[in-house]
Parts: sequence; structure tokens; C-alpha cells
Amino acid sequence: MANNRDHLQGTLELLILKTLERAPNHGFGITLQVQTVSDGLLRVEEGSLYPALHRMERDKLLKGEWRLTETGRKARFYTLTAAGRQRLAEAATNWTAVSRGVDKVLRFA
Amino acid sequence: MKSLFGWLRRRSEREEEWREEIESHVQLRQEWNEARGVPADEARRAARRQFGNTGRTLEQVRAVHVCGWVESLWQDVRYAARGFSRSPSFSIVAIATMAIGIGASTAVFSVVDRLLFRPLPYPKDSQLVSLGYFGPIDNMEFNVVASYLEWRERQKVFQSITSMRPGARCDFQAGETPQQLSCYGVEANFLKTFGIAPALGRDFRAEDDRPGAPTVILISNALWKTQFGSDPLVLGRTISLDEERVRIIGVLPKDFEMPQLDDADVLMAARLLTNRPRAANASAPLRTFARLRDGISIGQARQAMLPLFEDTVRQDAPFELRSELRLVVRSLRDRQISEVKPASWMLLGAVLALLLAACANVANLMLARAAARRRELAMRAAIGAGRGRLIRQMLTESLLLGVAGGTAGCGAAWLLLRASIRLAPEGLIRLNQARIDPRVLVFALAASFASTLLFGLTPALERPRADALAGWHAAGSIRIAVRKLLVAAQVAISLVLLSGASLFLRSFWNLESQSFGFQAEHVVTASFTLRRQRYRPPEALAAFFREIESRLQRIPGAGWFALSDSIPPRGSMGRPYSNLKIEGRPPVAAHGGMVAFRWVTPGYFRTMGIRILAGREFTEQERRGADTPLILSATLARRLFGRENPIGQRLDLDRSGRWLPVVGVAADVKNSGIAEAPDPEYYRLRGSSSQMPRSGVALFRTSLDPATLARWIRREFASIDRSVPVTVEAMATRVGRYTDRPRFVALLVTLFAAFALLLAAVGLYGVLSFLVTQQTQEIGVRMALGARPRDIALQFGRHAGVWVGWGIIAGLVGSAVANRAIKALLFEVAPTDAVSLLAAVMVLAGIAGVAVCMPSHRAARIDPLVALRHE
Repeated sequence: MANNRDHLQGTLELLILKTLERAPNHGFGITLQVQTVSDGLLRVEEGSLYPALHRMERDKLLKGEWRLTETGRKARFYTLTAAGRQRLAEAATNWTAVSRGVDKVLRFA
Repeated sequence: MKSLFGWLRRRSEREEEWREEIESHVQLRQEWNEARGVPADEARRAARRQFGNTGRTLEQVRAVHVCGWVESLWQDVRYAARGFSRSPSFSIVAIATMAIGIGASTAVFSVVDRLLFRPLPYPKDSQLVSLGYFGPIDNMEFNVVASYLEWRERQKVFQSITSMRPGARCDFQAGETPQQLSCYGVEANFLKTFGIAPALGRDFRAEDDRPGAPTVILISNALWKTQFGSDPLVLGRTISLDEERVRIIGVLPKDFEMPQLDDADVLMAARLLTNRPRAANASAPLRTFARLRDGISIGQARQAMLPLFEDTVRQDAPFELRSELRLVVRSLRDRQISEVKPASWMLLGAVLALLLAACANVANLMLARAAARRRELAMRAAIGAGRGRLIRQMLTESLLLGVAGGTAGCGAAWLLLRASIRLAPEGLIRLNQARIDPRVLVFALAASFASTLLFGLTPALERPRADALAGWHAAGSIRIAVRKLLVAAQVAISLVLLSGASLFLRSFWNLESQSFGFQAEHVVTASFTLRRQRYRPPEALAAFFREIESRLQRIPGAGWFALSDSIPPRGSMGRPYSNLKIEGRPPVAAHGGMVAFRWVTPGYFRTMGIRILAGREFTEQERRGADTPLILSATLARRLFGRENPIGQRLDLDRSGRWLPVVGVAADVKNSGIAEAPDPEYYRLRGSSSQMPRSGVALFRTSLDPATLARWIRREFASIDRSVPVTVEAMATRVGRYTDRPRFVALLVTLFAAFALLLAAVGLYGVLSFLVTQQTQEIGVRMALGARPRDIALQFGRHAGVWVGWGIIAGLVGSAVANRAIKALLFEVAPTDAVSLLAAVMVLAGIAGVAVCMPSHRAARIDPLVALRHE
């Protein structure tokens, strides 16, 4: 169970890192983007997004700051740090490997 | 501390920020929804729904940043602190109660601990005993050289037995200024018996202790420091002691204590004269100490020594004294604390009672608070607080209170100890060694923590009930019963303390107001001791006294003047009564105890204000004769002559064959302390040829103040002999010192009783107020139905009367037991003294009445209209 959760958290982390690679964004923006880009296949649980963001910020993968959105609202924007970029690279490779492996297993079965 | 607050402030700012962030998310979603054409209302609701439980998210975010338990503990503490600040009177009373209980018990225990429980500063101290004869001659066990030598030879129960001669002042010449040191002659094995080795140099050896051996000494650490600058080269140096050259062979350890707790500057070898005739050694006094063999008890040692004692007492004690002497073998500690032991135990008991009362009070307060909070707890349980959480909450509150009370208690203990060291009379042994004892502090803290915890937790342990929400106080009748019981216990405890206090106060009053037989007011005393060596020739001694008397008499304004060798209420020497012989009559009864006597000049009675009951005072002319006359005290005259007239009878005082005429009878004077009945006493006239001791007291009945007179007196002494130290003091000050200790004890016990009473009053008031609040509605209904305010007040009064009554009954039983234990400490008041008990009950009832009246009146003033709308 714990592993499973780690795995899911790892996934969420990867999604966040990948989304922020293009441009800094706020929490709601990340939710929206993941949903749009995945054609509605993936949906970020909003309640668990914020603990993840804060954990990543604590671990220095992200940097958060208050900015105004295009519509003039205040929101907390997160930017990828250098450490974040590195983590993204590792996690992406890892993910590709894992998903290719899983894919093969599934196809064999 | 500052950084902690800083952290807390930052924490709350960040908390705000997280909330904002979540809020902004919801708003962005709402905006997005609206942009898709959803109506504003619906858009907002959907946004909220989609986000889910914001509180939970916030909780998770918080958990990312801090360890969860610290957080919730902090929450509890904050909650508790808020609760306490909402009812400050509760917190203040609870904390003050604990402070008093913990403070007083810790302070008192820290003092008596040194006396009763701490090991003495000798290895295996429980093996050390003091032994000897005990009789009317001395208030401590003593020995004589003749008996001791035989005991030493024949005893089998001690590993080691040792002795020391009575201490003496000896003259020490250090450079120009002469000093008097306190010197003790001890046997060579003295230090070894106590398990002590010199800090520097060597101990005495057997050859130092032979008769006629050259004098070698060990000096105290204090003397080494002050006189020799802690110079290690002091070993082997010779100094002048009593105008004899003596060699220093060692320095005593810094924390060395003489077994009888006197200060000793110098120890020298005792060099007991083993080969003197037995009769000569039978009058040389000693103190004897010993170390028990392993596995031998004090009782066994005493049994084993009894035959020896029987043997030697027959050989060495004067016939008249034999039947009055008994053997004492007791622990060294018992000897040291013999005078203060009963008082120490009594104070310990009193303060533990106070601690008990304080705990009862805290328990009572916690229960009151618990009752008041049942509703709140039920509410919290209803909105989802878990049972564990509630228990933890209560625990936190109790602990917080305990910590606050404990801190205040530590502070109070420290203050009380300081205060009592400052206020205590001189001569309370080991008081200056008293330190706050950590074990005791822990014990007192634990007691008060236990009472807060035990009673603080009850509301949380009890399953929250829905009816509590409705404001009906249906449950909790058991708790009320407990509270009544606690109040009754407090009443009982305070009655015990109060009756003790009133006995002590009465006893103290009796001591102060008794007649001493002399008038201390306006009497100034100057006491002095002459140097041994210079005044050894009787002519030198007589010349000094002649000279000083004529000089002191000439001091202008000095008033009446007299010289004596000692002054009441103590200080007179004693001789066996049976030594006295009346001319032409059979010998007096054998077992008459001791007779005190003094050498005085003719002005003595006038100066001291002692009444002459029959006959006359001494005259100046009589001093020149050979057989100087006598004055008897009333008690002695009555014992010797019954109803006959003693004037003109002749007495032989010491079987010397010299018959001295009785010329007067003086009123009895306190002469063996102020609490004891006076011993019979006779006065001898200081003649020109009398044998007299080297120390004396000059007395003046004068209107001059002591300080002025002191200057004159010192000058007169200095003009004859610079080396004589003189202590000038008002007689009233001297006498006052004897009542210092009973005053201190009475003060302490009264203080404890007052505290206990206050606590009982607080408890009583608290329970009754609670009942009134609880029954407000009921009272309202009754009043609406026509009950008069008086009836209501009376109902509560009667209610309280029952518990107080039970408390008083229990307290009277307790007093009967406790007061019997303090009998030895009381002066001329019986432990069953009805007046004291009645006074205690009255005071208690009075205070209880006030504590009951206030809430009862409040009950009586309840407005039925308001009451029925209540809750």
C-alpha cells in the first residue's frame, strides 16, 4: 500500500514538474493543464495537489511566489528550480523505463 | 524564548498564506466555470465541491511543514491557556494553593532532612554512638576518666571507643593580639573512630597521648585559613597556646564536625592520666563516643555495657548520686538532635498536613472546573472530537496547571527557606546547611501533579452525554459527594493544625508571661573570662576581681552594681543536694537531685531585682570575714527546714567542716532554662579569700543604654588587662534568646494553620458557589412558589453546616491524637487544654461561616424571573 502511494505521489510529482517545465504556473493552472494536455484522461485531485506542491517547495524543487494572473487575480505561482529540472530529467527517464517495462509485460500477457 | 515567539508568529502568518492560496484556487476555478457560461452562484458552489474539504487539505499542508504532534500539542496548550485566562480566579487560586503546599513542605523538609535523615559526615555513621552516665548533673551523657578507662579495657561490643575532655577556651598569641580559641583534648584514636583523617599532616599517635608527652595539636581548617593563610608549611611549626609552646602536626578536613557540633579550633592529645589514683580520676569529666562492631545493635551494646556500668558507678560515683545515674547508649544523631528532635518531627507532620490540605483543595478546584466544562466537552465530542483527543486535552490542561503551580512552588520553597534561615533563632543546628532538597521537591511536585491529573481527567474519562449539552446537570452527584468529602477533610486538617497552633501560642504566652524571679529590664550584663595561665595564682585572680570591681563601681551613672560568676536563667553550677549538712541534725535525704549555687557580691539581689523573702541581703563588712554567710532560695529553704525559720541556722555545704550561717531567703529564680521548674539554689558571698572561677558577669541596674555603658566597661577592663574579651548585653536580650525557639515554632505552626484554614475556606466557598449556580433554576422555581430568601440561605447554610460539622468531628479526633504527640513541646498547657481547642473550633467556625455566607446570600438574592430564564 505504501509503495502504491509512493508510486502515485511520484506520478503526481512528475506531472507537476513536467507542467512547470514550460512555464511557471499556479495550482489551478497545473490542474487545468494536466487535464487538457492528457485530453481529460488524467485528473489531478485538487486536495492532494497542494500538499505535494508544498512538499516539493520544501525540498527546493520548486519556488513559490505571489503574482497576478492574466485576469488580475492574486495566485501563488510555482517555478521550477535547477534541482527541479534535474529531478524532472531523472523522473522522466525512470518513468519511461518503468512504463515501457509495464507495457511489455502487459503485451506479453 | 524570543525565537520561540518569533517562530510562532511566523507560523500563524504562513498559515494565513496557505489558506489564501487554497482560496485563490477556488476562485480561479469559479472564474473558469463562469467563463464557460455557468451562472455565478452555481459556478462558486461547483468550485467548492470540486476542491473538496479545504480544512483537510490545509491540515495536510500543515503536516508537510511541521511534525503533527507538536502542532496539536501546541493547539492544546493554547486552548488550555485560553481557558485559564478566561477564568483567572480559578487559575490563580489553584496555582497559589500549589505554591503554598509545595513551597512550605519543601522548605520545612529541607530543614528537618538535615537533622533527621541525612547521614552525618562520617563514614558508616549509623555505627557511631555516644555513651556515658546520664543524671541530673548534666543534660547530656558524660563520663569520668576512672570509669572510662575501665570501660575501654573491658568492653567487647565496640570496634573502637574514644573520649574527649570538655572543651576549654585557650589563649592563643598570634603576633600582638591575644585570642581565645576553643580547644579540645581528645584521645589518639578519636579521629580514627569517626573515620576521619587529617586533610594535611598526620593524626595523633599513641606516643603523643601518653601522660607527660609534649603537646602536639591538630588545627581546624578555618583556623589554618585565617591565621596561617592556608600555608602548607604550617606543619611542624610551634605556636603559643596558654603560654606553652605547642607543635602543629596536622590540619583537620574542611567539613569536619565535632561529634557534639561545637566549634573546635584546636584538638590536642588528651593524655589521660592512667596511673593516677582512681579517686582523682573519678572527678575528671569526659565525653565518650564509640563505633559499634558490625552487626551489633545499639540495644545489644547497651545490654552488654550494663554490667560494666553497674560496676563502675559503684566505684566512681558519689554515693548520693548513684541511684540517680543511668547508662545511656544512643546514636550520635540522637545525641546531636536531642533538643530539636520533637520539634522537627512536629513541624514535618504539620507541613505534610498542609500539603495534604493543598492537594485536597486543588482536587476540589479541578472537580469544580470539570463540572463547569461538561457541557463544553459534550459539545466538542458532538462535533467530532475523539475521546483520546479530549483526554489529551484535559491532560494538557492539568499538566499546564501542574507546571505553573510547581514552578510557583519551587519559587515559594526557595523564598521560605531563605526567610526561615534569616528569621530562625541562633543555635538551630544545621539550619545554615539546609538546601532545597531535590527529592522532596519531586515528592511535593508529584503530590500536587497527581491531584491535578487525577481530578482533572475525570470529566474526559466519563463518557460525554448528550444531556450535558442541554444544560441539565443531571449527572455528577458522585462528584459532588467527593467534593463534600474533600471539604470535610480540609476542615479536619485545618482544625488539627489550628488546635496545635493555639496550644503553641498559649504555651509561648505562658513562657513569656511567667515570672522569672528577677527583673530583666534595665539590667546590663558584661561577661568575661580570664586567661588561664596568667591568673593561675589565686592572688592574681583575687587582685583582678578586686580591681575590676572597684573600677566598674565607679562608672558614673552605672546605678546598682554586682558581680556574679553566672546569671540566670541558666549558667549556675550544680552540686548534689545530699552534700548539704545542717548543724546539729541528721544528714539530709540522699536523693535530692542537684542544688545550684552562685558566688555573688552584696549588690546582686538589688541589681537583679530578686526579692528577699526573709532575713536580709549580704553586707560589705561580711566579705572580710573567713566564714562568709549564705542566702538560700525559697525552695531550698523549704526543703531543708520545712516551716522552721532558716535564719541563723548553719550549713556545711561540701563536707568541709566549715559551718556557714544562713542570713536570708531569696525568691526562687529560673536557673535551669526558662521552661524547667527552678532547681533549689544557694548564694555564697564573694569574699576576699574565696575560691572563685575565672569567668564572671558584671551586672548593672542602670538607666544608661547598653551601648554607652559598654564603652565605659570595655575601657575599665582594658586598663587592667587588654587580653580579656568582654561581652556586653542587655539582660532582656539574653533572656529573650531563650524564647526565640518556642516563638519560632509557634510562628511556623500558626502560619501553617492559617494557610490550611484559608484553603479550607476556599474549598468551602467553591463547593457552595458551585451548588448555588447549579441549582439556580430550582431556587428560582422555589422562590416563584413563595420560598423566602431567608429559607434559601438557610438551606445552603444547613447543607454546609453538615460537612463542616463532620470535618470538625474528624478534626477533634485528629487533634486528640496529634496533640498528645506534641506534649513534650508545650509549657504549662495540657495537650487536652479545652480553651485552646475551643479557640481553634471558634476560629474555624468563624471563617467557615464567612465562606458559607457569601454564596448562600447570593442564592438568597436570586431573582426568580432571571433564574427561570437562565440557560
